Amino acid sequence: MNEVTGEGRRPGDSYLPAALGVCWRYLHNLYTRPAQFIPSLLFPLFFLAAFAGGLSVVADSPGFDYYDYTAFQFCFVLIQASALAGVFAGFSIAADFELGMGRRMMLATPNRSAIVVGYAVGAASRLGLTWVVVTGVALLAGMSVGGGPVDLAGMYSLALLGNVAALLFSAGIALRFRSLQAGPLMQMPIFILLFLAPVYVPQALLTGWIEPAASVNPVTAILNAARSLLAGEPTGILAAYAVAFGLIALLALWAMSGLRRAEVAG
Amino acid sequence: MDARSSGTLGGLGGPPDQIYMITGLRSSAAHSGSVDGAGRSDGRVADNGIEVEDLVRQFKNGPRAVDGISLEVKPGEIYGFLGPNGAGKSTTVHMLTTLLPPTAGVARVAGFDVATEGPLVRRVLGAALQEAALDPHLTGDEHMRLQTALHGLDHDDRRTRGRELIERVGLSDAADRKVGGYSGGMKRRLDLALALVHRPRVLFLDEPTTGLDPQSRSALWEEVTRLSKEDGVTVFLTTQYLEEADQLAERVGIIDAGKIVAEGTPAALKAEIGRPSVEVVPRDPAKAEQSAAILGRFGRPVPAAGEALGVRLSEGIDELVGIVRAFDEAEIELASLVLNEPTLDDVFLARTGHHLEGDEGAGDSGEMSLPDQAPAG
Repeated sequence: MNEVTGEGRRPGDSYLPAALGVCWRYLHNLYTRPAQFIPSLLFPLFFLAAFAGGLSVVADSPGFDYYDYTAFQFCFVLIQASALAGVFAGFSIAADFELGMGRRMMLATPNRSAIVVGYAVGAASRLGLTWVVVTGVALLAGMSVGGGPVDLAGMYSLALLGNVAALLFSAGIALRFRSLQAGPLMQMPIFILLFLAPVYVPQALLTGWIEPAASVNPVTAILNAARSLLAGEPTGILAAYAVAFGLIALLALWAMSGLRRAEVAG
Repeated sequence: MDARSSGTLGGLGGPPDQIYMITGLRSSAAHSGSVDGAGRSDGRVADNGIEVEDLVRQFKNGPRAVDGISLEVKPGEIYGFLGPNGAGKSTTVHMLTTLLPPTAGVARVAGFDVATEGPLVRRVLGAALQEAALDPHLTGDEHMRLQTALHGLDHDDRRTRGRELIERVGLSDAADRKVGGYSGGMKRRLDLALALVHRPRVLFLDEPTTGLDPQSRSALWEEVTRLSKEDGVTVFLTTQYLEEADQLAERVGIIDAGKIVAEGTPAALKAEIGRPSVEVVPRDPAKAEQSAAILGRFGRPVPAAGEALGVRLSEGIDELVGIVRAFDEAEIELASLVLNEPTLDDVFLARTGHHLEGDEGAGDSGEMSLPDQAPAG
């Protein structure tokens, strides 16, 4: 390697270090700024308390066949918290571009897709603490777990895939607008998709317009599968993974085309 | 006379016939080919130079910010890109650093095409842009950690390289402090250090000293000169400060409204202008015509700002006494009389008909203060 000029490395050599560098900074800023991190942790807990506590009587409805209402709501909150962690990472991308750090990364990173990958790894990494807190609070609230370790691993991995999909969606928006003003555009579609799934009662009990909406909503497949895994009675697992990976593939294209837009815009 | 034209800073002064002429791009070898371990494509002799031909950037529904510029920067050279605000300097830098794709034209940095070989270009260039994009929540050391990671430096190299550069820019004592508390000068120095972490062959500095105090500015000039002379780094420096271009750059390109209007060594460009000029402002505007006639006896009229009348002295500075005497004899009172040694601003004025912005008092002008009611002389 040339000591003066820094030659001797291919652009691809820096891909992983660059992605990990972006991830490190994201997590560093997240965990050293409680004002940013704590609300994102309290948000799912609020939902868990409101749904599992306030609506527990829903479990007595005729035809409600899930074994535990807290567990029923826990799955939704877990997937919601995971998806929102991806959205919050999208906010960070937008903020970085708005404040100039995005340009620094675009300038210093030979292969720029490493930037998106770095944020994705960061968004996934932050899930660990969120999962521990949400699961801990649910267990303290009396949630019983029907599934074994493999079932639970399947449930958490579905939540992880939801996180990646949400991050890629948000990254696509953030890179197109490069401004925090695009925040609602990242958050609202995810919220709408989440709440068009069977949030409060099983899909079979849905009536009216929400029933067909839920049946075509990709989140429904993931949520139903997660609930079945937590109950220890896995159903629709392959379909859920297929939907999740399909979403990720599509949204990866969306995010990368956003990156191209950001490159063209300078 | 300044240091540059007297030859004390690299002996780069030279007669007008040494003005660098744009000769088009050197013939680079084929563009295709795999990349070898040194980051170069097969068959290509990559150097540290910059080659630009007919580069254009047009923004949507806007004018051409860069309108067909061509230039060549030799390896190891410090090239000053001088122009007023909005002239197209930063847009040019953004294209050369792969932050913005050109609308048309070709540009190569270290032999790599900025439009088609972005990753390779980014591998060899370092850049400190106009606004130092720093994270206020990270310390200086943490910025180094991030930057070395983005560039993919070996793990062992990261810490030592970071320490070395932090020390070199004089930030050792502040390295563990959050950048949000840094002064403007400290941020600039950190930004420069960050641009150097991967040992770039070509360094882009976009108005690096804007807003800096004289001491920080001088320190940065010193470091840039050292990088060029000792490490052989090619430096492309944009500035709106004449003094900066004059002191630092071996060659200067002057850009206005997206076009290069002059290019050469500072000394050669000034020599092109030749003799000094005089600007006068008659106290009574009604006597402007008569004043212009008097000045016309001493040389060729040149454009001057505002109400001033300018003349390029035919016989040089010795004619100043004659001018004062002539106005005295004509009983025309002058509000001001300014003697201008040729500066890069004169070059700019001669080529564009207007002055550079943001450069007050940077030239070698000597103004004679005139008492309120006293006649000239």
